[in-house]
Amino acid sequence: MSYRYSDEHAPPAPQRASEVAVTTHEHVFEVDPRLMERWVLQQTFPNWDTLRIMHARHDHLDWMHAHFAQKTITGSDLIAEIENEA
Amino acid sequence: MWGLREVTALERPPTDLIDRVVERLAGVLRPDQILTAKTDRYNRARVPAPFPVHRWRERVPDLAVLPESTEEVAAVVAIANELKCPVVPRDGGTGLTDGAVPLRGGIVVDVKRMNQIHELDLENRTVTVGTGINMLKLNEVLGKHGLIYPDDPASYPCSLVGGRIGTSGWSLIGARYGHTRDLVLSFDLVLPTGEILHVGDGIGRQISKSSSGYQLKHLFMGHQGTLGIATKATLKLYPKPEAELSPFWAFDDYDAAYRFTGALARAGVATFAGAVLFDEWKVAYLRRDDEAYIPQPADVRALTCAVLYGWEDEVRVGGKRLFRIAKEHGARYLGDEISEGDWAARHDRYATPLHGRTKSGQVVPMSWHCEDAAVNYTRVPAVTKAWHEIVADLRRKTDVFDDWGMFAYTSADTGVDYLTEIDVGIWEQRLDDDAWAMWVRAKRDIAAAALAHGGSISACHGSCREGEVDLVPRELGRGFDVMLGVKRMLDPNNIMNPGKYLLDLAYQGGDLAARLAELRGEA
Repeated sequence: MSYRYSDEHAPPAPQRASEVAVTTHEHVFEVDPRLMERWVLQQTFPNWDTLRIMHARHDHLDWMHAHFAQKTITGSDLIAEIENEA
Repeated sequence: MWGLREVTALERPPTDLIDRVVERLAGVLRPDQILTAKTDRYNRARVPAPFPVHRWRERVPDLAVLPESTEEVAAVVAIANELKCPVVPRDGGTGLTDGAVPLRGGIVVDVKRMNQIHELDLENRTVTVGTGINMLKLNEVLGKHGLIYPDDPASYPCSLVGGRIGTSGWSLIGARYGHTRDLVLSFDLVLPTGEILHVGDGIGRQISKSSSGYQLKHLFMGHQGTLGIATKATLKLYPKPEAELSPFWAFDDYDAAYRFTGALARAGVATFAGAVLFDEWKVAYLRRDDEAYIPQPADVRALTCAVLYGWEDEVRVGGKRLFRIAKEHGARYLGDEISEGDWAARHDRYATPLHGRTKSGQVVPMSWHCEDAAVNYTRVPAVTKAWHEIVADLRRKTDVFDDWGMFAYTSADTGVDYLTEIDVGIWEQRLDDDAWAMWVRAKRDIAAAALAHGGSISACHGSCREGEVDLVPRELGRGFDVMLGVKRMLDPNNIMNPGKYLLDLAYQGGDLAARLAELRGEA
């Protein structure tokens, strides 16, 4: 977390990710603010909270994998094995 | 049409009856087990399925109780039966067909305090639990013994074993391990008269196959709380998988993804736990709002995922077979990150914050609703087309509804049939009586389309909600008459979850045959 309040409320400049979404921090996608002007207004989060939510999601997914199985086999591993066997 | 509204006209127990019920319950429960406060009652009035919230009051019970044993449940139900007060069982309250919603007030029996693990039998690989236990919490304990209870609905972190029995639930990984009906070996059930019955294969608690007598276990599963309350269940356990594989593949078009999904399901791979087909509407919806799909290129229009569980050596061999099939079908692997992340998220679809869009693209708060059916593989494309047309018609008329696309999930290990579901965003704050009536008609049309293609109204949720329930007598034929007879015999006073599944017909005079003929469209 930054020391200055203003730093926490200055996210990276948005980059267009699609016709309806933008990205700010790496891997953080947001709805294009123009689409949140009437019924639901976009909320502002300090940077630390935005990143906390993103990391928490990854923690949750990792937990779920470990809950259902001891390890995860990746598709890229199997593709490599198939290519080596060919 | 002679419809649900007529048979479920609101009749609430009078206040003096409720006073007598509370007085009698005080003789069998502690004061902290009897809840009459407004918050306690309103919080047990609804399930996640969107409904007209301005009519919330109609669904509020008069009181809730928190029994802690089969005997306490039996005592509560016996009192309710004697005083003719409605009883509604409630487990996780995560169902999508209103099974846990009180339509006539009365007593909600909340089983959450019956969440004990009574016996873990490591030799026979079973566990006996109170039905108020959640599968995630149970598996945290079982995992320490290298075991798993693999009943895996999209509500995995929040639904309870008892609700899975009442719904006869469907599991994401059922193609490998079976569904709730296969995984629950036996259970204790409190009948509507307050008597206690044990049902399983034969009378066994830990028997997986018996040919002795009628097979009653299935009768007491999937009844949506209309035939009793399951209180203690014995479950079948498996080794916790050593390995998981969940590849996602992309296609240019739906037809190619559909053919590939069928090929995966028919491949006969023993560790295959399921495949999911995402149609073009689903991919478009995800591309709009899901961080994993926003960056996907435009030629990703349909998806298939598969999941395998088992020992690592088995999963590797099976997985490679599926990847070879993928190559033959021109499938494009989406990569490890999206494959693993999206699958892990499928165990918990109820925690997703939801919003939809108006036709102009503005974001609006929407609740998620899901209509499902059981459909044979060869009929999936036709049902998909018909359902999107129904929802598109709603969307043309109002911004209250938003088509969030469809999935088709394998139900069995051979690929014979699929849980076909359409997700619809519903702007609940705008769901007035007119919009609700529009939605009920659409639900009826969705169910009718499934039946027209030889399917069943529901593979997963049940079919007792307004709209689809009107077609249950048509789907079951003479079987529905048997349902009415069973209900009347086991619940002579119609106290157990009244107003559901058109079962009030069992208690009404007049020309029942004519009414059923009308419901079946034969009149």
